[in-house]
Amino acid sequence: MKKTILLSVLILVSLPCYMVRAADAPQNLAIRAGRIWTVTDGVIEDGVIIIKNGKIQTVRKKPDIPAEIEVLDFSDKDVIPGLIDAHCHLGLSLDIFGEIDETVSAVTPDMQIIDAFSPLADGVKRALSSGVTTVLLAPGNKNPIAGQTAVVKLYGQKAKDRVLKRTAGVKFSLRDEALMSDRRPTSRSGLLALIREELGNAKAYQDDKPDLRMKVLKSVVDANFPVYISAYTVDEITSALTLVDEYDLNAVLVGAEQGDEIAGLIAERNIPVIYSPLLLFSRDKDLKRVVRLAENGVKVAFSSSAPETALSDLRTSSITAVKYGLDKETALKSLTINAAEILGVSKRIGSIRRGKDADLVILNGDPLQPTSTVEMVIINGNIVYQRQKI
Amino acid sequence: MMRFGNIIIISFLLLLFILTSAFGEQVVAIRAGHILTISDNPIENGIVLIKNGKIEALGRNVVLPEDVRLIDANDKFVMPGLIDAQSQLFVMDSELNESRTIAPELNILDAIDPFIKEYREVLAQGVTAVCVAPGSRGLIGGRSAVLKLNGSKNIDRMVLKADATVKAAVGVSANNESASLTRLGHYSAIREALIATKVYMQRKEKADREMAEYNRKKAEYEKKDSGTAAEKKEKPKRPARFRSSPSSDVLAQVLSKEIPLQVEAHRVTDILNVLRLADEFGFNLILDKCTEGYLVADEIARRKIPVIVGPVSTSFVDMPRLEYRNHSMSNAAILSQKGVKAALGVSGRDGASSKFITLAAAMAAANGMDINAALRAITLTPAEMFGVADRIGSLQAGKDADVVIMNRHPLDARTQVEMVMIGGRVVFERKSQQ
Repeated sequence: MKKTILLSVLILVSLPCYMVRAADAPQNLAIRAGRIWTVTDGVIEDGVIIIKNGKIQTVRKKPDIPAEIEVLDFSDKDVIPGLIDAHCHLGLSLDIFGEIDETVSAVTPDMQIIDAFSPLADGVKRALSSGVTTVLLAPGNKNPIAGQTAVVKLYGQKAKDRVLKRTAGVKFSLRDEALMSDRRPTSRSGLLALIREELGNAKAYQDDKPDLRMKVLKSVVDANFPVYISAYTVDEITSALTLVDEYDLNAVLVGAEQGDEIAGLIAERNIPVIYSPLLLFSRDKDLKRVVRLAENGVKVAFSSSAPETALSDLRTSSITAVKYGLDKETALKSLTINAAEILGVSKRIGSIRRGKDADLVILNGDPLQPTSTVEMVIINGNIVYQRQKI
Repeated sequence: MMRFGNIIIISFLLLLFILTSAFGEQVVAIRAGHILTISDNPIENGIVLIKNGKIEALGRNVVLPEDVRLIDANDKFVMPGLIDAQSQLFVMDSELNESRTIAPELNILDAIDPFIKEYREVLAQGVTAVCVAPGSRGLIGGRSAVLKLNGSKNIDRMVLKADATVKAAVGVSANNESASLTRLGHYSAIREALIATKVYMQRKEKADREMAEYNRKKAEYEKKDSGTAAEKKEKPKRPARFRSSPSSDVLAQVLSKEIPLQVEAHRVTDILNVLRLADEFGFNLILDKCTEGYLVADEIARRKIPVIVGPVSTSFVDMPRLEYRNHSMSNAAILSQKGVKAALGVSGRDGASSKFITLAAAMAAANGMDINAALRAITLTPAEMFGVADRIGSLQAGKDADVVIMNRHPLDARTQVEMVMIGGRVVFERKSQQ
């Protein structure tokens, strides 16, 4: 018995060591780049980014580089901010078919998804190699009120480096998947009724007896704590808008595949959309939907929903959107600053700017061309991925 | 009476249509900024001359006949029609699979629905031909075919080549369960079928020989009709009728190298097993999918086995599958750098996926495949694999005029296809206002 305890302690202690590939302390680096796509301040040709203590210290055309700093020469390459996958389930289950929902009860707002996150999971490395540095972790779509999302980086030893937001909001699901035959709700109107009942209870809830679920939902109805509402079809989105109006929710739409049909209604409420992955077998008219949504003034971010779909490459979605008419600037924003703003972390990430975290991706060409590939990924100033020469 | 009138009008219009399509605009010339011939070096500022549905000539100094219809593509790219070597177009999902069977006699052509609308979207991306094969659940699933997207609703007119390959699959989990023993079973079941075919071929050869012998003796006997009674006693006995089997006949064509065996294999063990099968039986092998091929590229290259790589990215697959656990986007690049002849397929979930063939090629190029090799991998290479390179796959005099005009380089994200021709006929033209 003692031996097993000792063994498990050993394993637990050695685990983080195994994770670390880059140097422990963030390096001070200078990156010379052919093009720096700052996203918020235009494109700088032949510029330099100086990284100090994991933060971006300077972004300029020709700064003085202190002598002691190591210089990475990427003068024929492109640098963009680390990409943000605004909705996924990476590292949340033991294998790709594992469960990510707590389906015993339909209402689980107290569940915190970050408790299930494993930074060593298979998909994490894959996402990193495709240039994703930060993700929104979310529960699935099987519970009407599912649990709390989190914003995490895909690398970082200490929690304070890795976790941007332990809880970023509560995920709601208005999708068919939330209906089950063996528990409430079993119908679409039942689903709305259940959410109203819970939100109503939360409004009336006094702190007299401790109730974690009510506490979370009270912050939703009283304190503007965000809700991520999963809704795909026009009727699901309409229901979401109804809830937003009734309870004055601080909402983000997740999925919103048919959102373009009522883009005006979404735009006038200033509700951003985390768009569902563009699947590479959809009809042309469906692939054009996200373009129309963005053109109608809705702020859009992209997501992979990985590993539920095998779309490990977030950039593919935006490249496909460009193919179907999205302008390249919006496409790049959707992968970076839009997502950062929607997730409420734009002070730290989402663009290449002095003072922000040094989360950078180096590509061998235009980030929105399918012929370009990711050469290096940097998180908090650490080189966490480097493409192997073949 | 009204109906009779209608019939006359319709027949007249039909006749007019047939006449115009048969005799009108026989000679077309495309004046192009960039001609990507694929088989030879690109031609800048050249002309592609098309006559009677075939490429008559191409180059910088082509003499134009007088009544030629000129298409101006001065600032554009012209290339041969694209081919998706792993398509499901025109085939309903459920008809791709016959579970766990040795059924080479099945023919994908029997499951073709020419009325599927998605083909227009695929055509609009420059794809002019697809190879459709049975799915991966049958051990030997049946015969594939190369189809043209020429808009015909007559399957016979769509078919460029029937019996292009016989499709087999090993180690593909039907329900995503890891099953090593099942995979051994797949291997041995296919091997058993091939051994049985060998025996069948020997028996058939023997029967043919006996029959020939009998016919010879019979003819001799009948000639001797006027002979003595003693001679008459030796009337030759007809040998037992040989019972041919449609299934074995197809596999016999595989063993006699008339049809290649296209085997889907993902993992290293399965790929090596398939290579052993090819070593043992000496059929023409095409490796399909070949997900972990990059790990045994030398083994594949040494045997000069062609490979259809796909999906290039797991983005093309809608659900995670165990077979793709070690998927690498560099697979095609590594294989082709080692000298393996590699075609690319979309291998999407749905027929409509084929419209992303240039995206697949671009991704392969992004991950180290030479750009020219990537373009060849969606044109000439698959045409060669399926034995249709005399007709399609490159811009060369004498080949079918299956031509695509694009406004940019084919692998650019913003590229729009302007025009598609199949057999010299314009089958897609982009509306100018779009």
